Amino acid sequence: MKAKMGVSALILLFVAGLWLVAAPFAVGYQPRGAEYVDATVNDLWLGGGIAALSFVTLVIYAADALRDLARRGKHADV
Amino acid sequence: MIRTFVGAVAATLAMLAGLWLMIAPFALGTQPEDADWTNATQSEFFSGLAVAVVGLAGAIAFALSIYEELVTRGLVVPKQRAAEPEPEPEPVPAAAPQASSADLAGLLAPLVEALREDLNTARHSGEHRQNGKAPLVGVEETR
Repeated sequence: MKAKMGVSALILLFVAGLWLVAAPFAVGYQPRGAEYVDATVNDLWLGGGIAALSFVTLVIYAADALRDLARRGKHADV
Repeated sequence: MIRTFVGAVAATLAMLAGLWLMIAPFALGTQPEDADWTNATQSEFFSGLAVAVVGLAGAIAFALSIYEELVTRGLVVPKQRAAEPEPEPEPVPAAAPQASSADLAGLLAPLVEALREDLNTARHSGEHRQNGKAPLVGVEETR
């Protein structure tokens, strides 16, 4: 149950990371066609990092859960 | 087990990133001093706050999950909560100490006095006691 809450938090973090990447353009503090301002660079790096981190973690979590399932399946056969 | 640990680490890192996002506008100088918060500052601050809170919640959830698993495997013994002090039994009223003869005499004094008066009135009025010859007061005083 608690692990499910953690996974939910990871999904939310992934969405938040995507929002951070889009925020400079969605909110409008990055002028179009201009060089990226400091806030944009910061948001892109952090947003991308958070999204990538949470995504990789979710993949690892799912892979480990699948491996666990497969192991139990083997035991069930024997 | 490993997956929950990875999740806890990732959530903690995300929380730190959220904290950085909250202070970034001031640290990087994109927010002018003594001015209203710009759109960029507001966006970064509140996004960072949300990321930090969610990251903290995730880290706590994963940490509790790890703890539960360790307890299930018997690797960690949950701390026994300090036993609550049992409520003190209501003081049972102690059995009344046996009254000493002096106390008894004190208690019976009014009764004796009333009997004496009764006897005196009976004597004066000529009535005789039927039960026993000794005066009641004398019996009481010799006890």
